[in-house]
Amino acid sequence: MMKRLLPFLTLALLFAALAVATPHFLTAPNLSSVVRQTAVINIMALGMTLIIVAGGIDLSVGSMLALSGFLGSMAMDRGWPIAAGVAVGLAAGLACGTANGIMTAKLRLNPFIVTLGTLGIYRGLALVISGGLPVQQLPKSFAFLGEGSLLGVPFVLWVLAACAALVHFLLEHTRFGRYAFAIGSNPEAALYAGIPVAFHTTAVFAVGGLLTGLAAMVECSRLMTGQPTAGQGYELQAIAAVVIGGGSLRGGEGSVTGTLIGAFIMGLLANGSDLLGISPYVQQAVIGAVIILAVLVDELRKRPARIR
Amino acid sequence: MVLELESMQKTFGGAVALRRGSLAVRAGEVHLLLGENGAGKSTLMKIAAGMLRPDAGTLRWRGAAARFLNPAEAQRAGVAMVHQESLLAPHLSVAQNIFLGREISGRFGLLDRRREQAEARRLIEEHRFPLRPEWKVERLSPAGRQLVEILRAIAQQAALLIFDEPTSALSDAETKEVFRVIAGLRERGAAVIYITHRMEELRALGDRATVLRDGETVFTGAMAETGTDELIRHMAGRPLDSVYRREPLPPGRERLRVELPGVEFSLHSGEITGLAGLVGAGRTELCRAIFGIEPLRRGRLLVDGEERRIRSPRDAVAAGIALIPEDRQRHGLAPALPVGHNVTLAALGRLSRCGVLNQRAERALFEEQAARLRLKAESPRQPAARLSGGNQQKAVIAKWMARGAGIYLFDEPARGIDIGAKIEVFERMDELARGGAAILMASSELPELLQVADRILVLRQGRLAAELPRHATQEEILRHAALEPAS
Repeated sequence: MMKRLLPFLTLALLFAALAVATPHFLTAPNLSSVVRQTAVINIMALGMTLIIVAGGIDLSVGSMLALSGFLGSMAMDRGWPIAAGVAVGLAAGLACGTANGIMTAKLRLNPFIVTLGTLGIYRGLALVISGGLPVQQLPKSFAFLGEGSLLGVPFVLWVLAACAALVHFLLEHTRFGRYAFAIGSNPEAALYAGIPVAFHTTAVFAVGGLLTGLAAMVECSRLMTGQPTAGQGYELQAIAAVVIGGGSLRGGEGSVTGTLIGAFIMGLLANGSDLLGISPYVQQAVIGAVIILAVLVDELRKRPARIR
Repeated sequence: MVLELESMQKTFGGAVALRRGSLAVRAGEVHLLLGENGAGKSTLMKIAAGMLRPDAGTLRWRGAAARFLNPAEAQRAGVAMVHQESLLAPHLSVAQNIFLGREISGRFGLLDRRREQAEARRLIEEHRFPLRPEWKVERLSPAGRQLVEILRAIAQQAALLIFDEPTSALSDAETKEVFRVIAGLRERGAAVIYITHRMEELRALGDRATVLRDGETVFTGAMAETGTDELIRHMAGRPLDSVYRREPLPPGRERLRVELPGVEFSLHSGEITGLAGLVGAGRTELCRAIFGIEPLRRGRLLVDGEERRIRSPRDAVAAGIALIPEDRQRHGLAPALPVGHNVTLAALGRLSRCGVLNQRAERALFEEQAARLRLKAESPRQPAARLSGGNQQKAVIAKWMARGAGIYLFDEPARGIDIGAKIEVFERMDELARGGAAILMASSELPELLQVADRILVLRQGRLAAELPRHATQEEILRHAALEPAS
């Protein structure tokens, strides 16, 4: 119980503290900018939650974001309709994730190593295809995805909510999710139970890639460019969101609500320090400390139970 | 007295592991520590070895009040513990593990690898263990690791050695060697505390015994004056038929036919077929081969008369085969997952539509199986790792009963679980057989096989050496398992 509550209390406390500390925080424009800023990391972190629950890790999502975003924008730049451009971005993410999954599950390589490799490969591909230059000519109405509003709420928040609901449903209410937990908790026992472990591991990475593709299109829409250099370091933020939210890098643990809270804690910390005029250099250190603290609290909670 | 523990108490979270645990051990005696799983034996010994701090109670070491705040302090005082679960560093060598924490250093405080190796070799040869100092521990079998743990304890030249079920992974020959080592330690005047589940070990080894039940010491006495039945009664807290005996059924139709080079046999509906053999004879390997973990290169399997290609556990499960594995921690359970999810894991296909789980049906299925097996859990959400050994085994069995299978392979179904749970497991096997399933039961415990199985297959070096009826004797089985048959 404490485990689910603690990140939430931290978020609520942070929210209240910022509301008291600065009048600029609790305003519609600021809050919607927080949502827009964190949406990209948030969507990626949802995919990362699945992967981490299943005992994997994906370090390549930042590069994957750049590659899928660039391919999607390039399609639009060539005159393809917006829907087709977005589809290209999603498909690229799906393909990248599937490749990571196949190498991890079928070739039985360590996912840390595989995705450390593809982190370089996907970034390299984005740079080679683009020649290092961004795509700037995106259709005006494409901006709606990242910057538009629906019923007074940022459109990306709808997208994020839909993704979160979907991933939550996947994790908690489907066979796919249950198998992900089982594989992450003990892959050998999962195999002995007759579960197609390789298929499900691949599928988890594929879904993670698909969500990264979506995050990539949101990022492009917000900046109205396709940057081959986008997304550097995003993988660490996505992993941090999952871990702050109670996910375990040993696998078998993690939840969508936890991850959302984790991502928003980081978003609020960034936004709050901006509003309070704290230097971005200090910000990074603070976020780093929060990650360690979150994991420490989680470990302390589990420790007495493990001895015996 | 070397060590006296008095009224030790220990609570984990809300769970009381020890209420009033007491034990006193003299120099030059082998003291047996008995009790069902969850009785608090390991907790009490971890207190003695400085791995846990008691909430209350007194510890006296050689007559003086003492406290061991960590394992290093206990070791310095002269306590060495051989753990049930291996606490070795897998990437280091046998020699490095034997001297871990007490490395031999030469000049300038640098490690003296050569002397460590030589010293380790001397120890290994003295005890004739099948090990080499330079071998990596990760490549050793569970039995090999256990032997390294034992050498490590001996090398400390401790005044008190604690053995926590050291023989559960060992072959008979290795077990004998361990007994010889322990007798030698006793002669040298060391005190030995020996935790065991095996009744046969009591007489061979113990001078005195202490029985724990529900965290309390309920009995201490000399083995020479205490009957086995009396000990069992103290452990269980109720009179128990110490001998379970299954009423056999006439075998029905053939469910599984195994045709491998050197191993051909059939399993029949309603029948429990025993599988005996020494360690390394291939009992576990045979089960794993039938279950598709190490798929067969030659030979064939026929399920209900039809040849099936089984290349993975998935294929096996699809063919109606279930395996209750030897190592339930590693292969049987997802330890962090709720026990409820573990039990329904293999049956999710039936509990879901288009991949969406029906959680009400899932809960109902768990309740049904838990009641059927008398599986005791605080709630379906309790992580499997927190269950006692007997309940963990019941959860693994429940997983397959929840799915339903025609052929069950039980590999060491009663290893490391207490007598009550053991009999319940045997009763469920009987129930499955009566329901028409075919059962293969591999076990290293001959008395167990003779109690439960209708006939016994004996493996020797990967080949079927004999098929014996249920009234065979242990000696007969052993003769076929170990030697060429008498001519």
